[in-house]
Amino acid sequence: MLATIPSATLLGVDGRPVVVEVHVSNGLPCFSVVGLPDTACRESRDRVRAAVLSSGLNWQLRRITVNLAPSGVRKSGVGLDLPIAVAVLVATGELDAEVVAGMAFLGELGLDGGLRRVPGVVPLVDAMSAATVVVPLDCAAEAGLVGRHQIRAARDLRQLVACLKEEERWPAPPGLRMPPPKPAPDLAEIRGQEVGRTAVEVAAAGGHHLLLTGPPGAGKTMLARRLPGLLPPLAHDDALAATRVHSAAGLPLPYGLVNRPPFRAPHHGASLVSLIGGGSSWLRPGEVSLAHAGVLFLDEMGEFQTTALDSLRQPLEEGVVRLCRAQATASFPARFLLVGATNPCPCGRADPQGTCRCSELSRARYARRFSGPLLDRFDLRVVVSRPDVDELLWGRSGETTAAVAERVADARRRAHERGVRGNAELPATRLDEVAPLTPAGSALLEHKLRTNGLSARGLHRVRRVARTLADLAGAGTVVGEDHICLALGLRAEPRLGEEAA
Amino acid sequence: MIAHDLPPEAYAAALAALPIGPPKLARLLRDCPPEEAWARAGDRRTDVAEGWRACVEAGFAVHILGRPGYPEVLASDHEAPAVLFSAGDLGALEGPRVAIVGSRRCTRYGRDVAHELGHDLASVGVRVVSGLALGVDGSAHRGALAAGGGAAPPVAVVGSGLDIVYPRAHRRLWAQVAEAGVVLSEASIGGRPEAWRFPARNRILAALADVVVVVESRAQGGSRHTVAAADERGVKVMAVPGPVRSPLSAYTNDLLASGAAPVRDVVDVLVALHLEGRGPQLPKKPGAPTEPADPAEAAVLDALGWQPASLEQVVTRTGMSAVDASVTLAHLEVAGWVVGGAGWWERQGPPGGTAK
Repeated sequence: MLATIPSATLLGVDGRPVVVEVHVSNGLPCFSVVGLPDTACRESRDRVRAAVLSSGLNWQLRRITVNLAPSGVRKSGVGLDLPIAVAVLVATGELDAEVVAGMAFLGELGLDGGLRRVPGVVPLVDAMSAATVVVPLDCAAEAGLVGRHQIRAARDLRQLVACLKEEERWPAPPGLRMPPPKPAPDLAEIRGQEVGRTAVEVAAAGGHHLLLTGPPGAGKTMLARRLPGLLPPLAHDDALAATRVHSAAGLPLPYGLVNRPPFRAPHHGASLVSLIGGGSSWLRPGEVSLAHAGVLFLDEMGEFQTTALDSLRQPLEEGVVRLCRAQATASFPARFLLVGATNPCPCGRADPQGTCRCSELSRARYARRFSGPLLDRFDLRVVVSRPDVDELLWGRSGETTAAVAERVADARRRAHERGVRGNAELPATRLDEVAPLTPAGSALLEHKLRTNGLSARGLHRVRRVARTLADLAGAGTVVGEDHICLALGLRAEPRLGEEAA
Repeated sequence: MIAHDLPPEAYAAALAALPIGPPKLARLLRDCPPEEAWARAGDRRTDVAEGWRACVEAGFAVHILGRPGYPEVLASDHEAPAVLFSAGDLGALEGPRVAIVGSRRCTRYGRDVAHELGHDLASVGVRVVSGLALGVDGSAHRGALAAGGGAAPPVAVVGSGLDIVYPRAHRRLWAQVAEAGVVLSEASIGGRPEAWRFPARNRILAALADVVVVVESRAQGGSRHTVAAADERGVKVMAVPGPVRSPLSAYTNDLLASGAAPVRDVVDVLVALHLEGRGPQLPKKPGAPTEPADPAEAAVLDALGWQPASLEQVVTRTGMSAVDASVTLAHLEVAGWVVGGAGWWERQGPPGGTAK
């Protein structure tokens, strides 16, 4: 008596098809699972047996062997509970093999027979080739996002069996909740901070990483939180990639596809694995992947572990995280806009006006947390100062998010015409072609280079930012001196916690 | 074991390395010669000969209070160091000496004024005495060195052993000062820059100086020790005025309020030294304009004032757009009116001044 049921297991953010084979024979009653299951997977024996019995179905006291094929791939998680249960029911004759033909199953079982949500429904369903996929009712909407399968859902095992036997009708899957996500805070709420606002706008328009430095209460966090609102909605492929990552991490997807740029702000206690992703068996995506196509905001960046910060360098450079473990290798998408906010020193008042009370040693230690290569990734490095009282109370409020987002969308469109998502991705070799300089602009850059105010790499970064500034201003192909000046002004040299000798 | 071929300086150097303060060391050496003092207080495990060899190899000289070779100007001081180490030529001490002291974390204003004073004083033959610390001290010495080979040699008094360069960022400056003038210390070879060393060092600064000039210092700054030591010795104290709102000028402005003479430029110091006649020897500064011709540039310069400001602050104060303000600042920087760095803009003296 043999039964096979297709399902899938999760590795990183990708589903791998799995076939659940059940063999029932005479012999001493036993129930074993083979085929490299992890602990959660092996424990499914107890859940499956309890669920079958609680659902009023018959559990035959015979020798039951479950094999998860391909046997060489490690299976993880609890999503294989349901396919195992169905396969057992088919193999023991409780269900006809015909009623489950062409169906794949996915879901966790409760001891009462209830079907529970599992993480990673989107990539799992995507990996299945069966025409119909049966999932827990909670996941039906998420499973439907893939769009290639007929989705069937049930509340519990009893209902599922009844529906399969056509004694009951399949319950209608709940539709996606449609209220739009809470709108991001509006840029118009910020008074003053013209330079900070410009920096946020440029970051959004060109995809330039942004570092905000300033004393506590200067508005760094406030500015950063308004950045995602300026970004255009995600393109379809980005939305799909982001949705897969969010699904694989087990985050709820109440609004269906992730079509707004995600905004992730991990606390500075975050471990290396939580930022980058990993774990021994499951390989869960980290914050950098959850921020894919969106914004990763590191508040109090100086308080993060140095190793955690330096691990950002590869994803910043390549847009993916490749994790290698003894058992498996997975790569996660991780193309994000990095926004850092930091105090200039532990006391937060290290401006050259001389109000800082930190010792030289503590300042030096603070500065060491930011490695040169990491600081170099920031195209925009802006000093944010506390707004004046007058500005705070009576300052005019600036443009709204909607108005700025329009300019940003326009600048992004121009970047697309150049074949990149944002100007930050422009290769250095194309700068002369797409961002030629006026004589005054190149004279200024030359002065900067000669006086050691700028490195060769810094030069390219300044030119990219200037290109974005020119795009935002609606200027033509040539980048003028004014935009070069502002780009230089928005790229303060990294001199955190240190003093010019 | 006493090796009899060692000079007394070898024992004095070994005594200076003992964990005792300058007063106790002075008492020990007042009563008996160094060899005997070492036999009485010394540590048997220390190899005196080896320490002496290291000292000689590094080219450091050791001077004992009350013996030939000890600088006369210090010998008469009531808290004179009993043992003094020197690197360089002690002859650099001969002549008028002005101590330039101030905060380690000064503003660009403080840095510029210290540099200018150091340069101008050295140019007219006045020795610049300072502590080789970050900020004002270092700038004063850089200024003195910038005055060139014909100028007065610089004098430094440091708080660590002569072979322990502190702060490390001043390694080059330290070597240049020792090359052109002299570096003094009462800490023994290998002495760490311990916190108590610096107030003690400051008394030597005050004892060496004919005039002490405080450039910038916050209310609780280390310059207080130098000023107190100078007052004790009747050395004239002068102060550079600063903005009343700058925390870094709080102490200098206090000094002015309590009667210290202000220093506006080198001539004020020369008057205090009764060397007015040397003023005219100064090279004439080029007749630079005192304000840029462009009204927008003048407005930005005005908004900047003499304190560092971020681009944001310039934008707020002038009401310009961020683009216009950064263009104007860039022009001012190219012309030499302002200096930018790490997100902050600072005004400096008119273009063509001596400041770096």
